[in-house]
Amino acid sequence: MSFVKKIIKPVEVLVVASKTGRVTIKYPFEEPWISPEFRGKIEIDPTKCIGCGACVNACPPNALEMIESEDKKTLRYFVGRCIFCWRCIDVCPVGAIKGTRNFELATNDPLDLYDYIVHNRVKCRECGKVTGETTRMLKYVLEKAFVTENYNNKCPDCRKKIFINAISMRRTGPVGEKT
Amino acid sequence: MEKKLERIKRSIWVFHLNTGSCNACDIEILDALTPYHDAERFGVKLVGSPRHADVLLLTGPITLESLPKVINAIEATPRPRFIIALGSCGSGGGIWHDTYSTIGGVNSLVKILKERGVEVDGVYYVPGCPIRPEALLYAVALIRGLVEKKAKSMVATVE
Amino acid sequence: MEGEKLILDKYIELSRDMGGKASIEGDTVHIIVPSEKLVEAASKLFNEYQCDFRVCVGTDERPLNGYFTITHIFTDNRNGLYVLLKTYIEPQDPKVPSITNAVPGADWCEMEARDLLGIEFTGRTPYRLVLPPEWPKGLHPLRKDVPYNYRPQIRGVSEKVSTTTETGVIPIGPYHPALHEPEYFELYVEGEKVVDVKYRGFHVHRGIEKLGETRMTYQQVNFLAERICGICGFEHSSCYALAVEKAAKLDVPERAQFIRSIVLEVERIHSHLLWLGVAFHVLGYDTGFMHVWRIRERVMYLAELLTGSRKTYGINLIGGVRRDINEEKKQKTLEVLRELEKEYKGLIEVALSVPQVRKRASGTGVLPREDALKLSVEGPTARASGIDKDARRDLPYAAYKYASFRVPVYTEGDNLARLLVRVDELVESMAIIEQLLDKIPKGPILLEKYEIPEGRVGVQVVEAPRGGDVHFVITGHGKPYRWRVRAPTYSNIPALRVMLRDQPLADAPLTIASIDPCFSCTDRVLIVRENGRREWLRLTGGLKI
Repeated sequence: MSFVKKIIKPVEVLVVASKTGRVTIKYPFEEPWISPEFRGKIEIDPTKCIGCGACVNACPPNALEMIESEDKKTLRYFVGRCIFCWRCIDVCPVGAIKGTRNFELATNDPLDLYDYIVHNRVKCRECGKVTGETTRMLKYVLEKAFVTENYNNKCPDCRKKIFINAISMRRTGPVGEKT
Repeated sequence: MEKKLERIKRSIWVFHLNTGSCNACDIEILDALTPYHDAERFGVKLVGSPRHADVLLLTGPITLESLPKVINAIEATPRPRFIIALGSCGSGGGIWHDTYSTIGGVNSLVKILKERGVEVDGVYYVPGCPIRPEALLYAVALIRGLVEKKAKSMVATVE
Repeated sequence: MEGEKLILDKYIELSRDMGGKASIEGDTVHIIVPSEKLVEAASKLFNEYQCDFRVCVGTDERPLNGYFTITHIFTDNRNGLYVLLKTYIEPQDPKVPSITNAVPGADWCEMEARDLLGIEFTGRTPYRLVLPPEWPKGLHPLRKDVPYNYRPQIRGVSEKVSTTTETGVIPIGPYHPALHEPEYFELYVEGEKVVDVKYRGFHVHRGIEKLGETRMTYQQVNFLAERICGICGFEHSSCYALAVEKAAKLDVPERAQFIRSIVLEVERIHSHLLWLGVAFHVLGYDTGFMHVWRIRERVMYLAELLTGSRKTYGINLIGGVRRDINEEKKQKTLEVLRELEKEYKGLIEVALSVPQVRKRASGTGVLPREDALKLSVEGPTARASGIDKDARRDLPYAAYKYASFRVPVYTEGDNLARLLVRVDELVESMAIIEQLLDKIPKGPILLEKYEIPEGRVGVQVVEAPRGGDVHFVITGHGKPYRWRVRAPTYSNIPALRVMLRDQPLADAPLTIASIDPCFSCTDRVLIVRENGRREWLRLTGGLKI
């Protein structure tokens, strides 16, 4: 009996197979089997993005890069290098980045893999030099933090100049009175 | 190009070329051949030699050590030959796109191939880290013209 | 308590005898000895104290204190201690005695330190291990003065096959239908019998350690560590995170540790199922391959549900995890596990009754216990040769102390034993997940505020599906100062030479597969002969076989 059982046992795989039936999912002709948690391509909302670069600092593979030119600051998203970790979504201060479940990204044209968001850079009110910030970022900072009119919209050099001026005014004031 | 594509419309035989990937994409390629996904529905067959292949599945960022062997394998593939660069390493160099021992993805490889006079008839990019088996199926369906291309570049200018 | 003190005293005494000094921090014993006493101390730790050799780490500490250093990492598995044996090396002419005669398992890591840091080891034959053959001499990428993205202009050459006439040479790879990774084996055969093996690996050296020390920040390295290996990536990122947390003495929320352990076990299940499938395929039982991979798909879905990705889960951060397990996910997990267990048990019973599986696996690729001990092999390979070691139990980390489980050990040391170890481990893993899900405490999952002081050392061993991963971290400013990774395959490949010797050629693919080699883990860093001279790869160092 046990000998017969030993011979028969491997054939039981037929039972396993017929019980399971067909499991193949007919993707792309039907919906794929994706869990609701899946992390796919990110989408950056250009109406919300302020171009602060927080995502660029957090991105492990440098898929998000900030390309700086004379008067433009361009956030470039290269999906071909993205590792879909969604760290950028965690760190974005304005919630401009949204995760999707999109994985159908195959293409034969490398240019399809790039997304660009072009920001304008602010010019210094004093000297006209281009500062690091974008227009949106300046607006955001003004909303969030109290910055005196004196300092905003100015390049670091001019800001320093104003600051030193202000301090020396305060110093020399009383000193002048004494003498 | 179009005409050449027509020829591999029948059945795509692929050769798996691991150029230094972390194994995740490679295992998903195998996964695509197993019951749930069954890539053989499209006539895709994993072959043992580049000489039998139409398409090379390139995974990994191409390390300096594997580079000469990769070039040999591409040279051995009959024309028309296509490369499907899989994963973020294959298509863009991935997380190690600028380290000392990789060359950073398929684009640099194509440049080196051009220098050496080896031609490739087309490159497909499949981003993902790792690619889902479905992403590979989508790429195959795209090559065979069963689905529309969805990837599109976005350029937005802020006021 | 008393016993623990005695054990620590033993190590302090050892360091005093060697003219060095010792300090104890948590579960780590730091011993610093002068370089002339290094061999003696290492041999004492390995043979007398029965410590397990894990790896050695070379570090360029010139910017800190003007020296190169080498640290040999041992673990005292019975007492749950990490023992670090460190020595300073003069920077002008970095030379240090080799410990391979005492500890054969140190062969590779010493050569790696030679390639990447330019430290010479006296008393052994050197060879190129990690970097490509044409790599310029004198350029050592892990030295701090070499930029991480410096790419030397080298023309790659394809290696030629050996021309020896005495024995037949069968090259396997680097691109071969049986290998899914670019690795190159040369099997030397006499008739049908394999007489020797040469391995030329490190095709997958991607410069990860350097990258982690330069371009990345602490949090980014988690994602880099995960990409060391696509199969057991979460082990690597957990190991890294735990090492940094240990160095910085962070108090990570319990719930995060539970989630880590649960996801680690999910990864073990998928990895072992994957291996079983591949093993059945190699054995010529493709039906088993397809069915195992079919039931594995459920695990992949479960992983995606819990973490957001089928692989490279990306939920580890320093100080906790990013995704929580809510009640709905918990129920779903238990449901998947129940179905999986039923299907798995039925299927494996059928598969193991297939004649060719048992006949081809039993008695082939034997690794005797003594060789396994000498070579410090890891994981299922060690447990199949009668070495009872498992970091989950011996050096408890994350939430494993809250789960009770059995560590399956077989003494035969053949391919069947390695197969059965994995079969048994799978069932244990499912039980661990159920226990942990039951006990999971409430609370936060991520530490919000913390500080990582500079110059601290953290070592962690995490039991990956293939064996123990070792991560060694010296903290730095905003990023690790030194980060060393040792994957289990790194210690297991040298054992292949013992397993393949005098075996029929037809069994070679199965034996190679039986250690579950994961080359991408192993090759982060760099074997090549110099001057094109062909030389037996001394895979087993001083071991006499």
